[in-house]
Amino acid sequence: MLILTLRRTFTSGFTHFRRNGWLSFAVISIISLTLLIISTLIVLSIAANIIIRSVQDKVDISVYFKSEVPETRIIEFRSAVLQYKEVKSADYISKNRALDEFKVKNADNPMILQSIDAIGDNPLNASVNIKAVTPDKYEIIATAIQNSTFKDDISRINYAKNKIVIERLNNVLSSTRKVGAVLATLFSLIAILITFNAIRITIYAHRQEIEIMRLVGASNPYIRLPFIFEGVIYGAISAIVVMLFLFPLIRFAAPYIAGAVSVKDVQANFLHYFWLIFFVQIVVGVALGTISSLIAVRRYLKI
Amino acid sequence: MIEFRNVKKIYTGGINTVALDDISFVIEKEEFVSLVGHSGAGKSTLLKLLYAEEKPTSGEILFNGEDIAKLTLGQLPYHRRRIGTVFQDFKLLPRKTLFENVSFALEVSGHSDKEIRELVPQILEIVGLAHKMESYPREISGGEQQRVAIARALVHRPPLIIADEPTGNLDPISSWGIIQLLLKINKLGTTVLLATHNKEIVNRIKKRVITLDQGKIIRDHSKGRYAI
Repeated sequence: MLILTLRRTFTSGFTHFRRNGWLSFAVISIISLTLLIISTLIVLSIAANIIIRSVQDKVDISVYFKSEVPETRIIEFRSAVLQYKEVKSADYISKNRALDEFKVKNADNPMILQSIDAIGDNPLNASVNIKAVTPDKYEIIATAIQNSTFKDDISRINYAKNKIVIERLNNVLSSTRKVGAVLATLFSLIAILITFNAIRITIYAHRQEIEIMRLVGASNPYIRLPFIFEGVIYGAISAIVVMLFLFPLIRFAAPYIAGAVSVKDVQANFLHYFWLIFFVQIVVGVALGTISSLIAVRRYLKI
Repeated sequence: MIEFRNVKKIYTGGINTVALDDISFVIEKEEFVSLVGHSGAGKSTLLKLLYAEEKPTSGEILFNGEDIAKLTLGQLPYHRRRIGTVFQDFKLLPRKTLFENVSFALEVSGHSDKEIRELVPQILEIVGLAHKMESYPREISGGEQQRVAIARALVHRPPLIIADEPTGNLDPISSWGIIQLLLKINKLGTTVLLATHNKEIVNRIKKRVITLDQGKIIRDHSKGRYAI
């Protein structure tokens, strides 16, 4: 009985969909537009994340130690810092390594290299490079280090230099999230209203059928199901349509949003998200169709 | 089978309209009852109360001893399956064939495909349209369309058929054909409640007539005539 009902109502919903070609086309284009707007927002936020992450990777704080501090003390400091839950990584850079890196960096500047040789001794300080879990944690980490038992061993912390970059990054991050959330909510609301009205038109086209179904004793679920299936079909097809448009669009836009990161990276990132985006599209599309159908058919089912 | 007990129906709105005022009567099983009266006398309202399209303002309507007003929303479809309805405007689905129009009623009540393939041609045979099963409503005459509607009303073998002005859109000859069909159905054991203002037809049927005027029963004769 249940299977019979499902089969019949699905067939009926599919028939509605097929026989009302233009109406179906109109509804699908509306849902598709909505999904495209929502997915554009998702894509933009992914792009923002990619860019931000690449900047984030470049931000850190370096703690420089006074030259008389023994290596064991610095390693001790490093393991202490790693205990902080805000810290993602901490790299120890010894005096020698610092010198090597310095030499590599200034390889094309013989003047500097010569002057280093002239000093004879290694003038650089050993340091620990610390990366935080999120950019807003640097302040906490820096303060914690300044108040720790290691404060007398430290010659300087270059947090201040990075502070401005870190703060700006934090601002960009939180404002993109806020704007994104507001836009997504707004467009979802508009989408629900439009889809709701579109499906109401299809139900209006079937009002006679609904009336007769009630007269011959069709139960409410039986009357409702074809419209719900119709909504599901609209949602699913719209999701597929949007995916067909979205990825060529990303391919086209990738060079422009890439900026600091490489084009390949951007594309790889989106391919990585393909199934997630597709899944979101299907869920949102189907939900949009179903909810609109449910609300629209309600008023025909009183008494 | 059907009992109205002091039923009152008032339509509330801008102006309160009393559609039915203190109606009481009994219809026995297998009776054929004509309900007559001018337009606005309350005939349609009375029928709507029976298939629960409207609820009475006060009073009870018993169907096989059960108060219709107390049915839950979930029970209503099952109540409606006990009543076949026929209307002036046929209410056929234009984009379905005659077969599909009739099978529709069986599909919604969960009959199997096998039953549908057996029952529908049988019932179309009874109304004399088995040979036009694959036609669409627009391809047949009004009288024939009404026969399809009757077939649809009959197909799940309800104990009661309600016909609201079934001949309103038909010429006299087709009209009488429809009435004969209803009489035949009645003879086979189905209770029929016919609302009409066609004087000639009522006088020819020579069965019980209930006359309504301004929401009240003014006459109830067992071998009635149309007289207002």
